[in-house]
Amino acid sequence: MAEVKAELVGNLWKIVVEVGQAVQEDDTLMILESMKMEIPITSPVSGTVKEITVKEGDVVQEGQTVAIVE
Amino acid sequence: MPDDSAAPGLDELTAGLAQRRERARAMGGEDRIEHQHAKHKLTARERLDLLFDEGTFVEFGLLAHQHSMTGGQTEPDRTPADGVITGEGLVDGRRVYCAAYDFTVMAGSMGMVGEQKVARLRKRALLNRLPMVWLLDSAGARIQEAAGSTFAGSGALFYEQVQMSGVVPQVAAMLGPCAAGTAYIPGLADFVPMVKETSSMALGGARLVKAATGEETTDHDMGGSQVHCYVSGVGDLEVEDDAACIRAVRDFLSFLPSNNRERAPRRDTTDAGDRRLDDIAKLVPASPRAAYDMRKVVRRLADDGDVFEVKPTFARNIITALVRFDGDSAGVVASQPMFKGGALDIDAADKAARFVWLCDAFNIPLVFLQDVPGFIVGTEVERQGIIRHGAKMLYAVSEATVPKVTVVLRKAYGAGYYVMCGRGYEPDTLVAWPTAEISVMGPEGAVDIIFPKQIAAAEDPAAARAQYIGMVRQTIDPYIAASWAMVDDIIDPADTRRVIIEALAGARTKQQRRAWRKHGVPPV
Repeated sequence: MAEVKAELVGNLWKIVVEVGQAVQEDDTLMILESMKMEIPITSPVSGTVKEITVKEGDVVQEGQTVAIVE
Repeated sequence: MPDDSAAPGLDELTAGLAQRRERARAMGGEDRIEHQHAKHKLTARERLDLLFDEGTFVEFGLLAHQHSMTGGQTEPDRTPADGVITGEGLVDGRRVYCAAYDFTVMAGSMGMVGEQKVARLRKRALLNRLPMVWLLDSAGARIQEAAGSTFAGSGALFYEQVQMSGVVPQVAAMLGPCAAGTAYIPGLADFVPMVKETSSMALGGARLVKAATGEETTDHDMGGSQVHCYVSGVGDLEVEDDAACIRAVRDFLSFLPSNNRERAPRRDTTDAGDRRLDDIAKLVPASPRAAYDMRKVVRRLADDGDVFEVKPTFARNIITALVRFDGDSAGVVASQPMFKGGALDIDAADKAARFVWLCDAFNIPLVFLQDVPGFIVGTEVERQGIIRHGAKMLYAVSEATVPKVTVVLRKAYGAGYYVMCGRGYEPDTLVAWPTAEISVMGPEGAVDIIFPKQIAAAEDPAAARAQYIGMVRQTIDPYIAASWAMVDDIIDPADTRRVIIEALAGARTKQQRRAWRKHGVPPV
């Protein structure tokens, strides 16, 4: 099980996966909007998205867990 | 005439010497060597064979061994070379000094005699202005020789490393543990590769930590490459095994001169200086909001696609890499939009400043590739001291007197533009791509600061904001900077390699003298 964490503070712009979806390592799970950039949050491991702990429009903090991949 | 017929002859004496040498070269004996191999580690002598050009190693102090500090018996056979093999040899034909700690002899612990050998080596390296390499695999200070207040006389090794800094290259290769104060050897070195799993470094080893604070940990958990090459930034490169580690040492040295008065050796190439980057448009999206992998751009630019990245897994939002342009070494500092959008934080500033200092000290020109949305802002980074870390990068880039070339690919916002060697930091050449956005900040941020009242008062605030953004965006245009001659040229991205090579050639004879000072007071 891997906790997916935001690498910097920003607005959560888009979630591109759903709970239950299979993902590969480095697949984009969601896109953060910060510092005028669309910054992909990628999966650290291959597996299944078990939980998404944020919703679009949320402000996420650096190090905050945004999803869990199993 | 005295009768000396009973005295041994020269042949006999020489045979005795050969025996002693053979015993010393056997290191800690077969069992310990086997144990070393079982841990997927090479012996110190196998490492030296990989480091030096064949047959060039000359050893000093082979016949040294431990002496009992308490008047007890010394056992020369148990401590060959006193646990550290010292000598010199050629690396790609250039002389380098090396101290290789031998874990098969008292766990490579640092004893009195061995440290005298290494001290002598450091002095020779500095006197002859030649690089020094440590192959570290050591339990640390040999406490049975060092415990007690004769400690008061120790510590000169780090003082000497500081005197060597910026004069000769220093490499500390981590091939095993490096516990306690000796961790300052890598701490002061210019390049620190670490072998995955087997190497570690920590100011206090696990046992000392337990005794001092009660914390339970292991040397690996506390100070393995997964910590130092990813989190702390003390390690420069994580490598798979000993052979890869030694290769990395040789590669690193190949980019550097032997000392600060020389230029790095040239490496001839068949890669044309005017090679066009035909696929560059595919690598870099025109949308300023989209991320891409700058490493691919650096590979396209460098001679033969050969890129030696320093700290590739630490502060990945900036790339620091040694490359060659038309055969000559150069240091590349490049934004990496793939991570944190290429925005700068404390670790990125730290990594870049240190790399710029390294290149400047050893006459290696610098190439900056800008696609930087600025420094990350907010409460978190202020608590981390982003101002002093950012100032450190400014300081290093300002101080550097080597040839400097800056290319603005897309974003060049705010202080990010400054620290990545904007106009004010005296790059010898500053060029921009047609996609460049040089500005104090992005249009969105600017509008929210300049026109908040107008937007709030508008019938349709969102539409008004969009209109203002469009208006401000029009003022962000590289041709405006070019029209004021603030950038030297706008270039076809496909010509970037040629432009960099021409710029470096043009600045090759650069001589820059600063006002005298003892030294500045750099922010850290």
